[in-house]
Amino acid sequence: MIEAINLSKSFTSYKKQDGITGTLKSFFHRVPIKKSAVNQFNLSIKKGEIIGLLGPNGAGKTTLMKMFTGIIVPSEGELLVNGHRPSERSKEFRKKIALVMGQKSQLWWDIPAMDSFSLLQKYYEIPEKEFREKVEYMSTLLGVKDLLHVHVRKLSLGERMKLELMASLLHSPEIIFLDEPTIGLDLVAQENIRNFIKEYHRKNNITIILTSHYMADVQALCDRLVLIFKGTKGYDGPLNDFEKILGTKKSVYFTFKDKTIHDDSYWNELDSTWNEDRTEVEIKLDEQQLRNVSSEILAKFPVIEFHTEKMPIEKVMKTLMANPDIILDHSSQEGEK
Amino acid sequence: MANLLKWWQTMRISWSRYTAYRLNFFLQVIGPAIVFFFIKYSLWSAIFSQEPHKVIQGYDFQGMINYHVWTLIVGLVAQGHTAMNLSEDIRLGRISTYLIYPFNFWEFHTASFFSFQILQFCIALISLGILLAIGVISSLTLSTLCIGFLFCFYVSLFWYLLQYLTGILGFWLEETWMLRVILQIVAGFLSGAIIPLELYPQKFVAFLNYTPFPYLTYYPVKVFSGDYSHLMQAFLVIAFWIGITFVLNHLVWKKGIKNYTAAGM
Repeated sequence: MIEAINLSKSFTSYKKQDGITGTLKSFFHRVPIKKSAVNQFNLSIKKGEIIGLLGPNGAGKTTLMKMFTGIIVPSEGELLVNGHRPSERSKEFRKKIALVMGQKSQLWWDIPAMDSFSLLQKYYEIPEKEFREKVEYMSTLLGVKDLLHVHVRKLSLGERMKLELMASLLHSPEIIFLDEPTIGLDLVAQENIRNFIKEYHRKNNITIILTSHYMADVQALCDRLVLIFKGTKGYDGPLNDFEKILGTKKSVYFTFKDKTIHDDSYWNELDSTWNEDRTEVEIKLDEQQLRNVSSEILAKFPVIEFHTEKMPIEKVMKTLMANPDIILDHSSQEGEK
Repeated sequence: MANLLKWWQTMRISWSRYTAYRLNFFLQVIGPAIVFFFIKYSLWSAIFSQEPHKVIQGYDFQGMINYHVWTLIVGLVAQGHTAMNLSEDIRLGRISTYLIYPFNFWEFHTASFFSFQILQFCIALISLGILLAIGVISSLTLSTLCIGFLFCFYVSLFWYLLQYLTGILGFWLEETWMLRVILQIVAGFLSGAIIPLELYPQKFVAFLNYTPFPYLTYYPVKVFSGDYSHLMQAFLVIAFWIGITFVLNHLVWKKGIKNYTAAGM
């Protein structure tokens, strides 16, 4: 579905010094700065996959999305999306893709969403019957039936996002690019959007490329993760394996009533980290040890609360963002294997 | 057929968008035209007040005001359109959306332009009705009116292409409004919208006749006054300039889209 080989994109900007003299200087002599946004990127995506494209701000995720959709032209490398070269922007290609940008509205602000939908119906040449059914099906699923005839500028962010999603799916695209679709939404709205995407994918088996900073989105939707750091690929593999990058040990947390408990020699044998208040401990355990050690602690100490990690990938992601070298080492080791 | 439907629907949507903020639209379109007209009215009445029966290059006071009333109507139809949204679309990265639709950016904006022209035409007709009712315009035949408006529409195509060109320069320039202001002022002087061309040196006017400017206002006003003598020349010169701006637009767009970074997408 998507084949990227040594894909690169660099931007040129100009250096400008401070103050009026700087402005004057740059008027006559500009110093170009070439910044590489994506560097030698390889990626292969099969039909029906849901890929999470992750990375810190400025890593090159959006640049990749823009290249995949044909909005910008790659500087180097080969790219084929559904058999088309996106930068040629053929109408045939544009009919097969869709892009949803969480930070940017694609619906026209001054008119109701339904008017935008009818315009898109004409653009994508969707037969009337199919169009009606699609609007009916999606608006029911998203619970936005009453909002179709309200001016878009009067809608809340969550409501608008649902309509944006609808707009992008009307023409039954084969690939959909979701660029932070849940950004700025409340927890319920986030979950609604996620459930909708999941349900839509289950029914239509389309290919989805998703970027998000919310690990809950990724956890709920993606089977495969692609990590990008400073324009290069850091990790590419199943979600389950990603959780184990930092080791296969599980973290268990215990909270105690008593502060003095950490002095007990029992803890010395365990891989434990205490919080500042000395009331909570994180213990890293192998899967086989998990049950025994946990029940031992529960029996021995005045535990008032305990839990295992709710979202291991969030922790992995945080660690990697703070220290990208881990992943780069990891991927080079993988390569050696 | 499907393509025609796309254009038609885009025109309908643009119509709703233009009329969504009626007061705003009115202030933007009619406001400047009326203000501009009153400035010119005061200017010429001051000039003629010294000698009320003076004739300047064939224009007495009544004739001069009549000329400027027509420039108001011509201005609405022939040069009403601005490409304000266009460069903003580029600068803020909004054209990304259009680049993905299977309907091109230029098609979208051209369809919008057509619906804008229809709206402007309605406004021009209403203004004309008012001017006729209060007796500012007297002699007028239906055929003159038809030929005059057709001519204005033809000229507006050139004006649109020129505006489009300033708009897509937004690929390189942060702001393009000053370009449009310069264009507006230059066009104002050279097209005869401020001073009728009879008042300029003949040699200069002969030169101007090869540029598109006099056909933006001066000649359309002549047509509305029943003088068709320059129609063929006007048709050819404007056709030439339409060709030039069309090719330029094509080249600039091609180069610009390669440079486009979709900032802020």
